[in-house]
Amino acid sequence: MLQKLRENKSLQGTLLISPTLLWMIALLIIPLILTVIVSFGRRDADGNVIYTFTFNNYLRLAGYNTTTPCGDTPPPCFDSLYMQILWRSLTLALQTTVLVILLAYPLAYFVARSPAKWRNSLIFLILVPLWTNFVIRVYAWIMILRTQGVLNGMLGWVLGLLHIPFAPLEMLYTPGAVLVGMVYEFLPFMILPIYTSLEKIEPSLYEAAADLGANARRTFMRVTLPLSMPGVVAGTILVFIPVMGTFIVSDILGGRQVILVGNLIQRQFLDARDPAFGSASSIILMVLTLIVTIFYTRKFGFGEEIAVV
Amino acid sequence: MSNRRSPWLVLATLLVYGFLYAPIAVLMIYAFNSSRTNVVFEGIVNQGPCGPFYWFCVLFKNREVLNAAKNTLTIAFTSTVVSSIIGTMAALALQRYRFPAKPFSEAALYIPIVIPEIVMGIGILVLFSTTFTWLNGLLGLTGDRRLSLGLGTVILSHIAFSIPFVTLVVRARLHGFDKSVEEAAMDLGANEVTTFWRVTLPIIAPGVLSGALLAFTLSLDDFIITFFTSGPGSTTLPIYVYGLLRRIITPEVNALSTVWIGTVLIVVFISQRLESRET
Amino acid sequence: MFKSTLWKTLLALSALGLVLAACGGTTPAPVVKTAPSGFVCPEPQSKSEVTSKELNLFVWTEYIPQDILDCFELQYGIKVNRDEYSANEEMYAKLSAGGTTYDLVQPTDFIVSLMIRQGLLQKLDKSKLAIMGNFDPNYLNFSFDPGNEYTLPYQAGTDAIVVNTDKVKDLPKSWADLWNPDYAGRLVMLDDSRAVIGMTLLTLGYDVNTKDPKQLDEAKAKLAQLVPNVKLFDSDSPKTALIAGDVDLGMTWTGEAFLAQQENAAIQYIYPTEGAILWQDNYAIPANAPHLDAAYAWLNYSMQGDLFWLMLRDFPYTNPNQAALDYAKANQADIYNAYFNSPITNTPPDEIKKGRRIDDVGDALPLYDKIWTEVKGQ
Repeated sequence: MLQKLRENKSLQGTLLISPTLLWMIALLIIPLILTVIVSFGRRDADGNVIYTFTFNNYLRLAGYNTTTPCGDTPPPCFDSLYMQILWRSLTLALQTTVLVILLAYPLAYFVARSPAKWRNSLIFLILVPLWTNFVIRVYAWIMILRTQGVLNGMLGWVLGLLHIPFAPLEMLYTPGAVLVGMVYEFLPFMILPIYTSLEKIEPSLYEAAADLGANARRTFMRVTLPLSMPGVVAGTILVFIPVMGTFIVSDILGGRQVILVGNLIQRQFLDARDPAFGSASSIILMVLTLIVTIFYTRKFGFGEEIAVV
Repeated sequence: MSNRRSPWLVLATLLVYGFLYAPIAVLMIYAFNSSRTNVVFEGIVNQGPCGPFYWFCVLFKNREVLNAAKNTLTIAFTSTVVSSIIGTMAALALQRYRFPAKPFSEAALYIPIVIPEIVMGIGILVLFSTTFTWLNGLLGLTGDRRLSLGLGTVILSHIAFSIPFVTLVVRARLHGFDKSVEEAAMDLGANEVTTFWRVTLPIIAPGVLSGALLAFTLSLDDFIITFFTSGPGSTTLPIYVYGLLRRIITPEVNALSTVWIGTVLIVVFISQRLESRET
Repeated sequence: MFKSTLWKTLLALSALGLVLAACGGTTPAPVVKTAPSGFVCPEPQSKSEVTSKELNLFVWTEYIPQDILDCFELQYGIKVNRDEYSANEEMYAKLSAGGTTYDLVQPTDFIVSLMIRQGLLQKLDKSKLAIMGNFDPNYLNFSFDPGNEYTLPYQAGTDAIVVNTDKVKDLPKSWADLWNPDYAGRLVMLDDSRAVIGMTLLTLGYDVNTKDPKQLDEAKAKLAQLVPNVKLFDSDSPKTALIAGDVDLGMTWTGEAFLAQQENAAIQYIYPTEGAILWQDNYAIPANAPHLDAAYAWLNYSMQGDLFWLMLRDFPYTNPNQAALDYAKANQADIYNAYFNSPITNTPPDEIKKGRRIDDVGDALPLYDKIWTEVKGQ
């Protein structure tokens, strides 16, 4: 029997993958199927799911209400509330990603071009904040940004020295605070992939470029940047997707006034007790992120730059 | 190696590191705040036998925190070990073999990356409760012997979302793997198991360790999925901290963060020292 | 260094825990039991036979005095596991999904009837409850649980207006006053759709539990006008923003207002003319509780007068337990007077009369949620 195992490569592969498959099917695929089934259901008066087959939830997301009124108008009616939320999430995710790239690239470049013995330590310095608690990090920003917080305190002190009158800035509980929080949370996830792809660039390429007469700027634009694109892409995926789905940062730093898709989904399962609508929202979110991921990986390739350190 | 380090680059780098660590610094400083309401830093606390470390002493007397810390570490270690093993196996399978389930497996491994955590959390919760209800009925378990949510269910869930990341990382490591080393070993008489153990594994070890590190990080910080799959007595630190935010946040929370960060830094420092001694 | 200290402390604490557990259970000690804080534990007035070794509580954060927990563990030798939640919906979601094994939960009034309908709670065996006579009858027999078949009152309170009188010169007297444009960006409101939409409905003269889409639509329009005044929504710790000076006034509940006032005496609690929102948290036993004997032992012990008065000391809410109040009046005059003299904790009877209670609205709930999402998302 063992001999058969030795010869049959396909069987070997299947055996190796079986624990993974078991876990994925049991804990991921089945719940996902359940979610899809529920998304076509309805809500009873108490918030339980009635298993039927209706597109109402999806229509409602798209803006076409068949069961709930839109203001004064009774159903069926149009109302773009959820599309607006989706748009807001997309915009925030894009803003976050762009800012994160701008901040991450110089750092990644610096570390990648540093002497080898320093690189590991520099990388670990980037990872350490990630190992503190996520919620605590967000909470720290409250201490920095609030009216009597660290930032206002420092600004007041500096301006006081210069004898300039100073009214504390209202930074906390604004969309800006949410953006800062998001950028902060996801910065390391962009630094590492970019670093990995930059680190792979052969030093001889730089020398070759110099030999051919390219200055620093040209080298960067024509050699470094294109070769680091897979890292940027991988980082974008690692940042964009969680930003779309998160709700804690927008809750805490936005004073619960910034409603993103993640908040919407969370509300459906908890406060609104409408699991059918929540499931539909989740499926749409997943489909969106899948589209983004597939588009990117088709264009730029995927995988290696996620392997960090 | 370029030694042309433009001052702008250095400045930018320092600013970004500063940005990364500013909240950490604030957290640690406020752990010594004498003001209980912890809004403004009113000076260094000096109370009781612990003096400036007053809030740390309060922290260590807090049974809930210590229990949560114990749970968090147990879950993280267990799920990391299991998912590392399973993930490495999967990476080997996907990178080197062809089998019918391959396309399906590749797609399945994408899911935890794309799925919103709350969907996964609630989905798993429903799955466990349905299964437990059925099994309890079938096996006639009652009272304390009933299957229910607890540390076990949390660990199972953590393994689920860790496996894809481990697989990804190890696969990347296998990508450029030169098979001739393995073939040489086999030519010299080693069987598959020995080859794997003494040739393949050491080479992919950095990848496996990276994956393990990633899995550990993910598990340590997980909130949403843990919330839905945990039961009595299996509270973890992230859940406990999130609950703490529900009241006047005394510097005790800061003390907790400081201890956490300090521990991590010490562990990192030690592992760096060990690594540099080996090379 | 820290790590080894941490482990050593963990080890020491586990050892201590074992010793405590052993001490508590085996000997019927004539020695007086003392909690780690120094509080002397009273004897159980009606000690019951308990075979369970554990008790699983699923309760609100910061709602049970540590001394009560410690004393219970000392008296009965039972290990108390405490899981916490910060919103009724979280507790409901976990319970209704099943798979959990809690012995006691603390639902707020509006979710009790829903939980009863869904079969999530079991009926109380009054014969096992010695403390039934401890409660003030004014807090019993509400419409959400007629005859108290499923719940026992825990703590009660109100949602009303809170103001920092140092920062606000023109004090609001009614919910409607909050719409004053002078308050732009200075308000903290509860992150509770029912409470906030409810109070908006009150300003329009409607019922807080209305299901009428037209009325709700008016409320939405009105609420949309309030949002520019709101700096943040917070149902976790609204007093923090108040004390920190991020906001100057807003809407909060009993406990928060009292604590805020302790930090800053300028902070006042004002009952609006339209009527405050009344609420009550209750003890209930989930349908599949595994340690029933421990649960009843807990209820009987923790709510006896000479122990439950600790609520007055630790958590400032309205206390429906008359036995606890009587005990405090006789033995802890300072604490009792602080409680009795404050209109925050000792809600004036006419405010209770004017107050409105939130109840389950069934299939109108998505309407409320939609309003909330729309209004906040502007």
